[in-house]
Amino acid sequence: MKISPAEDSQAMARKVGIIAVLLAVASICEAVAIFHPISESHRSAALELFSPVAGSFSSLEEAYEALRTFEVLGIEKKPDVKDHTCNSVVDTLSLMSSNSRDLYHALRVNGLLKCEISNEALTGIVSRLKDAVKDATSLLDYYHSIGGLLLIKDQSSEVDVLLENADGTLRSIKALSQSDGRWRYSSSNPESSTRAAGLAFETISGVISLAASAIDETLIGTLKKDIMKLFDSIEKYDDGSYYFDDKHIDASGHQGPLSATSAVVRGLTAFASTSESLNIPEDKILGLARFFLGIGVPGNSKDLYYQIDTLSHLENNRVSVPLVLSLPATVLSLTSKDKLKVKVSTVLGSSAPPLSVKLMQVFSSGSKDASVLNKDLHFDPKEAIYSLDDLPEGVDIGEYVFAFEIVLSDPEYKRKFATGGRTKVPVHVTGVVKVDNAKAAVLEGDVVESEKKLDLPGKNDLALSANHLQKLRLSFMLTTPFGKPFKPHQALLKLRHETGVEHIFVVENSGRHFEITLDFLGLVEKFFYLSGQYNIDLTVGDAVMENSFLEPLGSVELDLPKAPEKATQPPPQAANPYLRYGPKAEIAHIFRAPEKRPPQEVSFAFLGLVLVPFLAFLVGLLRLGVNFKNFPTSAIPATFAILFHGGIAAVLILYVLFWLKLDLFTTLKTLGLIGIFLMFVGHRTLSHLASTSAKLKSA
Amino acid sequence: MRNDSKRRSNYTESTNATNLNAELERNERNHLVNVQSLLTLLTSDPNLKNPKARRILVNMAKFTIATIFVASISLLLALTRSFSVENPTDRRILVLLDDLALKSSHSIFFTSLQARGFELDFKLSDDPKIALQRYGQYLYDGLVLFSPTTERFGGSLDVAAVLDFVDSGKDLIVAADATASDLIRNIAAECGVDFDEDPSAVVIDHGSYAVSGTEGDHTLIAADDFIQSDVLLGSTKIEAPVLFKGIGHSVNPANSLVLKVLSASPSAYSANPKSKLSTPPSLFGSSISLVSVVQARNNARVLFSGSLDLFSNKFFKSPVQKAGSSNKYEKSGNQQFVTELSKWVFHERGHLKAVNVRHHRVGETDEPAIYRINDDLEYSVEIYEWSGSSWEPYVASDVQVQFYMMSPYVLKTMSTDKKGLFHASFKVPDVYGVFQFKVEYQRLGYTSLSLAKQIPVRPFRHNEYERFIPTAFPYYGASFSTMAGFFIFSFVYLYSK
Repeated sequence: MKISPAEDSQAMARKVGIIAVLLAVASICEAVAIFHPISESHRSAALELFSPVAGSFSSLEEAYEALRTFEVLGIEKKPDVKDHTCNSVVDTLSLMSSNSRDLYHALRVNGLLKCEISNEALTGIVSRLKDAVKDATSLLDYYHSIGGLLLIKDQSSEVDVLLENADGTLRSIKALSQSDGRWRYSSSNPESSTRAAGLAFETISGVISLAASAIDETLIGTLKKDIMKLFDSIEKYDDGSYYFDDKHIDASGHQGPLSATSAVVRGLTAFASTSESLNIPEDKILGLARFFLGIGVPGNSKDLYYQIDTLSHLENNRVSVPLVLSLPATVLSLTSKDKLKVKVSTVLGSSAPPLSVKLMQVFSSGSKDASVLNKDLHFDPKEAIYSLDDLPEGVDIGEYVFAFEIVLSDPEYKRKFATGGRTKVPVHVTGVVKVDNAKAAVLEGDVVESEKKLDLPGKNDLALSANHLQKLRLSFMLTTPFGKPFKPHQALLKLRHETGVEHIFVVENSGRHFEITLDFLGLVEKFFYLSGQYNIDLTVGDAVMENSFLEPLGSVELDLPKAPEKATQPPPQAANPYLRYGPKAEIAHIFRAPEKRPPQEVSFAFLGLVLVPFLAFLVGLLRLGVNFKNFPTSAIPATFAILFHGGIAAVLILYVLFWLKLDLFTTLKTLGLIGIFLMFVGHRTLSHLASTSAKLKSA
Repeated sequence: MRNDSKRRSNYTESTNATNLNAELERNERNHLVNVQSLLTLLTSDPNLKNPKARRILVNMAKFTIATIFVASISLLLALTRSFSVENPTDRRILVLLDDLALKSSHSIFFTSLQARGFELDFKLSDDPKIALQRYGQYLYDGLVLFSPTTERFGGSLDVAAVLDFVDSGKDLIVAADATASDLIRNIAAECGVDFDEDPSAVVIDHGSYAVSGTEGDHTLIAADDFIQSDVLLGSTKIEAPVLFKGIGHSVNPANSLVLKVLSASPSAYSANPKSKLSTPPSLFGSSISLVSVVQARNNARVLFSGSLDLFSNKFFKSPVQKAGSSNKYEKSGNQQFVTELSKWVFHERGHLKAVNVRHHRVGETDEPAIYRINDDLEYSVEIYEWSGSSWEPYVASDVQVQFYMMSPYVLKTMSTDKKGLFHASFKVPDVYGVFQFKVEYQRLGYTSLSLAKQIPVRPFRHNEYERFIPTAFPYYGASFSTMAGFFIFSFVYLYSK
């Protein structure tokens, strides 16, 4: 994993992208950034990230990282894992199968927890570790076994841990070093690594302190040169932080600037503790501290451990202890008379030795010239804060870069602590800007048609009207609390038409006088020939202006000429998403209205009328004296006559049935059958009747 | 012959494997090559007469086939856990970073995703091994681009590949910042989101910046102009403002698929804070969108943020106070905002499905093949919403059904029983033709439902008209009295003397 500093980690790491921005900053001064020491947020993050599952950590390595982080941060309320972890420490140490790496991690945890381990057990482990040193082939073997021996030395004074053949061990480790200052993990692995170099220095300092006899001085001399060589490959960020990068990424995962730099710092401090006179430039030490502080609060436990552990090594190292100058607030308000406060502490946030802080220079952003001040800050021992009661003279509202210097009075401290010369800090001084003489006027040519005073910032209700031959002028004056002209970053006038079309104009200034004149004749096209009411908004704002405002000024009624045919159409306005997705209006089908019908009574009355002729017919027949004397008397003709009339009746009934329910096909079929029958019986009946009447005539 | 059939079976095995291939790593592919070369050797080499050697080779081939088979089964199991119609939440997400430090500085966001069951695959954006798909199958359901500076992705990934990914219904989160590259801008522009073209411009707001002792340039914005939508931002109101530091964008007004989720305040503008503002800013006021989402027509969801820091641990945890307001919040709204929005993007919310579309005449239960004009019918559909783990009944009062032929003849709001069933009853219009039952449900943030079912409508049959109309009784009376008269007259005429 590759780690790089990241309070603004992304910004930092993305060097390419940010170079342009940084160049602009760098033109003012080379290193402008504040690094805050370790704070409460690290403590809460540590408790969050190192949370044991069911009373224990997943591995002894993690347990060590957690316990070490808690110890350095001074967290009292840490989770209680001692019993569980001690059990697994004792288990690991007693197991014959555990290798030097397991033993090393177990001993590390033991160093913090002080579990009960007998001296006999330790003696056994020492002999195992010594064997491991003899058989070691790779750097990590040496690192773990020597580290283990060193830990036993610290934990028990009764066990003999001294190495007889320290010189030989040292030489075989030294064989892994490369010409560029990096080291290899093992002789069979040709790739060199910065992290390996750090581990190697730590191992070597372990060998030196474990050596039974004195070590060859020339060997130590070459090792010191190796360290210096390693520092040639150090890389730098623009904010003044230094780090080591490891290009080589191997299977073990955590390889990146953070782990590499951490390993180097550990190795460096360990080496410095065993031998005197290691000359590392103090800005490099400070830069390394800045690198670790610059990450902010890391989001995973490994990174947090690297950060906290390394910073604690830096704090306790013998080369030079970095001091961090930080400002609790870099935004100072003139209105509330904020004091300039500076805090100096070590990287872990503990208090610094007696010293004085001087404000050396104040750069005003935008101009190169700086006023030299050399002012002492007043120390308040209660809060451990250096403060300046009044801001230096000539500091009006605006953006500045303050340059501080830490001065240590004691020469002993001067040697011990790294202050890094001048620390430059960007400061915003804010205040209330006075707005005067605000006026809005409609001009015809150069003659003022109507003019209105405006109350800014405040409520205004302009109601102007103008046509395309007139002009609208808006003017106001801005002055700083010290009476100087003020130029805000944002001075925008916005006109908004009823339809939502917006136009924005920058209000230009000359000195403290701001004025904008809108000549509508030239703007007609830009306004898309849209006549009607325009709302006017004025926005004046700046980072250092405490009373930045966005005020609606009222409206102006514009009377613009009609749009010619080829005029551009105003841009479409975004539809309101809430309306766009709402339900649609319901639609109900309108059915065709049924035809109008007369009332039933009328129909029935006509039915009665229609039946009247039939009744009249019956009455007429009775009146005429109808008889059936002609009906055949003999049996056969009478039967045929009955069948004939029955047939007619059947046809008529069929018609009634057709009306009531039958369909045409059944009706025609039945009608056909009855018809044939009727033809036969009809013929017989009619011929009989005809013959009867013929007989009668002839008779 | 035997070898031939073996080879064929091997071929089918391998196509299975290749079709499904999502995690088949190089060694399996080597196996494949081995098998193929082995079998070619077996079939083509006539000199290979030694039966023992032959047997060994065949056994080796069998073994390799078995390995592939096991691999493909494990693959199938892996695939069943991924995005599907029945289980629409994404599972596998590729996270592209331009610096692995982001993994640590944005760990809360990533951990919350992992806690919700997502498998995150972190890669550097210039990693040459990046591949979204292999053998035509997508390896991921979602893509998170936290690599604003990347000018070129590694591997085969480019703008077109990212857009293809979205076009296939997958989801995307893109975070830019002040250093956003053209690549990121192009991806955004293709989705209807236009970041400010000025590369040095950031969003500045002197009206609603976040009050801070150390950030004095008002580029750290406390934004609280959220879209009003429970489905996008969850039902719990986001109380604290969201911290934003980055670039603004505008959304294309003609594009109805883009929604502004977080808008800037009216006093905001997009400009370079280091230089004097001489021309009017191209983006200003509340038309600046800070965070936008796109829901494509295929329900792919895309999130664009102009700020990468919005997702960072630092912003998640920092207290916030908006300028001009006395309310101080212990924690910014970022975590809630990002978590809720990511739930939406990865289809844990707002994903609807419609099942059991039914219609029948009132009083019947079977679905007819055709309706007659003026029939009374009932239409019902069940709609469920995916909650991330199960399908929950969808409750809404604005689902509408249309009875549609060229244009809607009937459009009715359906009533719901609050258990997912929506139904409406109405009368078929007195117009015959081929109609459709249509449910076009498009709501802010929800996936769109578009159901259509064709159904013909016929007019009355000849015998379905009214039979005995009283108005016609005089005519009937006339006919039948004539008929009766004829019957009587026939007697009178024939037999009267």
